[in-house]
Amino acid sequence: MVFTSVVNFVRSRGPDEFWRKRKVFRLAAAFQGRKRNCYSIAIRYVHRALVYATKGRKLKKIDMKNLFETRVQAACEQHNVGYATFREGLVRSDIMLNRKTLADLACWEPYTFKALTDIAQRKAVDDGLLDLKNADSLDSTITRGIITDSVKPK
Amino acid sequence: MSNKLFLLPALVSAPSQNGVGRYVGQLQRVVLKFCKNNGSSRGMRDFIESGLVNFAKENPGVVVYLKPRRHRSPIIKAEYLNGDTQWMSVRNFPQEEILKWLTLLNTQAQCHNGQRLRRLWFTEHPSIQGPWTPYTFRDPSLNLVSFPIEELAQPKDLPKSSEEELLELFKKQKLQEVESKRAE
Repeated sequence: MVFTSVVNFVRSRGPDEFWRKRKVFRLAAAFQGRKRNCYSIAIRYVHRALVYATKGRKLKKIDMKNLFETRVQAACEQHNVGYATFREGLVRSDIMLNRKTLADLACWEPYTFKALTDIAQRKAVDDGLLDLKNADSLDSTITRGIITDSVKPK
Repeated sequence: MSNKLFLLPALVSAPSQNGVGRYVGQLQRVVLKFCKNNGSSRGMRDFIESGLVNFAKENPGVVVYLKPRRHRSPIIKAEYLNGDTQWMSVRNFPQEEILKWLTLLNTQAQCHNGQRLRRLWFTEHPSIQGPWTPYTFRDPSLNLVSFPIEELAQPKDLPKSSEEELLELFKKQKLQEVESKRAE
């Protein structure tokens, strides 16, 4: 017996179902098990993943800022300069470097970073932010303010 | 990883420093399949009539094949020097777009489909001065020393103890007494 009219009762949902679901599966490609392969399960977790991605954009910036700050603090503490003093001294010397650049310098160019701590320390001592016992060790560092202050027109 | 939808992480790379010295175009051959009659290949046919010869003249290192195939969508298939192949459908594309995509395939070194770039930059030498190590700012004489060392075990900035302050005051007082006696 061949039932030819049964075929007519099949409702096609449309020709693009494969590609519509494929867009979801692309986002779920890294998931585990049925969350990766079964559509109705995957769509739920894809929605959650997208929400996390939206929230995470803000959190990533905060986390990276904290990471850079930790690194810069560790690096300048090694040279006996506090983080706040360091940044204030740099800003007052017109060296506008952001946390990311400072952290990269601290990791990859440590001697450049040491020079920056020297400049910041010198500026801080000159401006009275920092009280150092042996400020003579800073004499090798010269900042702009020293030259203009000491060489006054007569 | 048999999951074809998973994007593989990749780094920016140029094959054997291409472009640092001489630049060699990495596109080896390009196959343009089109239909001679169907409307979806109109842009492709227009491109073949107008812009293709210029493209071939400007890029003598690229072999261009034309394959007229009836009742098929128009396609560009690119093969690179490292063996990568990439095909893209240009169905209903205008001829300017086809030229644009062809230029992209020409300037690529490999097929980037299914890859996500981890970083938009790459360097083999991230550090010039040498990366920081815990030994960068350590005194090397510490290599030849046996611990414990009394001096290094002391705190760096010890404030004056009250005993020391009293002693100093006492000495000052004594000096003042002597000087006042001398003044008399």
